[in-house]
Amino acid sequence: MAMIEVKNLTKRYRDRVAIDGLNFSVNEGEILGFLGPNGAGKTTTMRILTGFLPASEGTAKIAGFDVFEQPMEVKRRLGYLPETPPLYPEMTVRGYLEFVARLKGVPGHKLDEEVDRVSGQTGVKLVLHRVIKNLSKGYRQRVGVAQALLNNPPVLILDEPTEGLDPTQRAEIRSLIRGLAGNHTVILSTHILHEVQMTCEKVLIINQGKIVAFDEIKKLTSASGQTEQVSLEEIFIKLTAA
Amino acid sequence: MRNAITIARKELSIYFTTSWAYLVFTGMLLVSSFFFVAMLESFKQVQQMARAMSWARLPPDWAMYKNLTDGVIVPLWGVVMIITLFVAPFLSMRLFAEEKRHKTFELLMTSPVRPMEIVLGKYLGGLAAISATLGLTIVFPAVLSIFGRSESGSALEWSTVLLGYAGLLLWGAACMAVGMFISSLTESQALAAFLTFAVLLPWMLLKGLAQNAEEPLRSIVNYISFDAQLQNMTKGVLDLKSIVFFGSVILFSVLLTQRAVEAQRWA
Repeated sequence: MAMIEVKNLTKRYRDRVAIDGLNFSVNEGEILGFLGPNGAGKTTTMRILTGFLPASEGTAKIAGFDVFEQPMEVKRRLGYLPETPPLYPEMTVRGYLEFVARLKGVPGHKLDEEVDRVSGQTGVKLVLHRVIKNLSKGYRQRVGVAQALLNNPPVLILDEPTEGLDPTQRAEIRSLIRGLAGNHTVILSTHILHEVQMTCEKVLIINQGKIVAFDEIKKLTSASGQTEQVSLEEIFIKLTAA
Repeated sequence: MRNAITIARKELSIYFTTSWAYLVFTGMLLVSSFFFVAMLESFKQVQQMARAMSWARLPPDWAMYKNLTDGVIVPLWGVVMIITLFVAPFLSMRLFAEEKRHKTFELLMTSPVRPMEIVLGKYLGGLAAISATLGLTIVFPAVLSIFGRSESGSALEWSTVLLGYAGLLLWGAACMAVGMFISSLTESQALAAFLTFAVLLPWMLLKGLAQNAEEPLRSIVNYISFDAQLQNMTKGVLDLKSIVFFGSVILFSVLLTQRAVEAQRWA
């Protein structure tokens, strides 16, 4: 079953076309790597999927609900990590996670349990009592990921979740995301191609607002008729060179 | 409504964990204490003069100095009203501008919360902050009622004092509503504070403008002027018209804010 379904999605900012007629779908339990050069329209696509921006044309459905027609149903099923982690610098990590959990409809008596669960998953347990503005970039990013996991949403949209992390933390977040496969449908945007190869089975590459590749990584890297394997990086550079 | 209260609580916790609220409290108390003392002093002087010469020989304007309520508290409320005009923009400026600067606006807009709930939550938080600021000034009538004496029983006429105070709260609530709307239009807190002040000050002074205008413009300008609307309340006259007026300003600002929040998506 397609958990995320995008049809002919187009977004124009006045006369500039940010994304142009995207069509793709992500099945339940899949992790989709979402790639593209800077300014290709990744963030715009994700903002439309989360209901933050309306599309100019086309439709996007999450779990069968149209993001524009039934935004509340969609938002209830969605965890979103924007490009910049949306944190309140003055709050403590626990205060912040409790606030977001409440907004996402976690009942009062389950707040502690839920905050403990996501902070354990993302490794921020030790900094729960600390004020966010005093945290390192890596911790802030992980608090951002923790926030997206609250209330265990079936669909996760993560805009560069490993940005600013060191290699160890990156590996941790990667294995966390891999662990989400099966129960969660994830769209993962990143610059690091190596990371996509390690976490995702399928990849969607866009360039200048258009899809240039949407396939399983295996199929992309084993070029048809050739025996040699090409790396995702070479494919990416070839496809986005325009 | 649950969501609105969650957001209001978050607003309050941020007001009180940063130094902003305390700075505003200190400013309010310092300036209003200064005026309180000055007003007490002139009250004392007039009283002494009256004792020496009798009220009949003093200018008729000075009749207000016959009791503490009209001589001290009513003019004090007038001063607090002007201080509110200066401090309210500092409290309202961060409501939406800060969310946008920290990119947390995206979090609110992608959570299962309606824009109206966000706006109401923000407004309730702001309302609590301004009420706390104004709440501090109740200490002045309290001091007077403990230490003041009058020939006829109680030192203060509490109905007048409290009605004036209710007028102040209405005024503060209206300032916050207008400030919140302006804050929802920009990312810059400084700009939000400045614009709020630039809107509220002339709005308050409209009455002066009305003096030279002709009818019917004069009555219209007079009606929408904050100052004219507040005059009766601060003097202790319950005026339903003012309540309706301030209620409309607040409602209108809240609705405009909601439109502004929804319109962000279309930008």
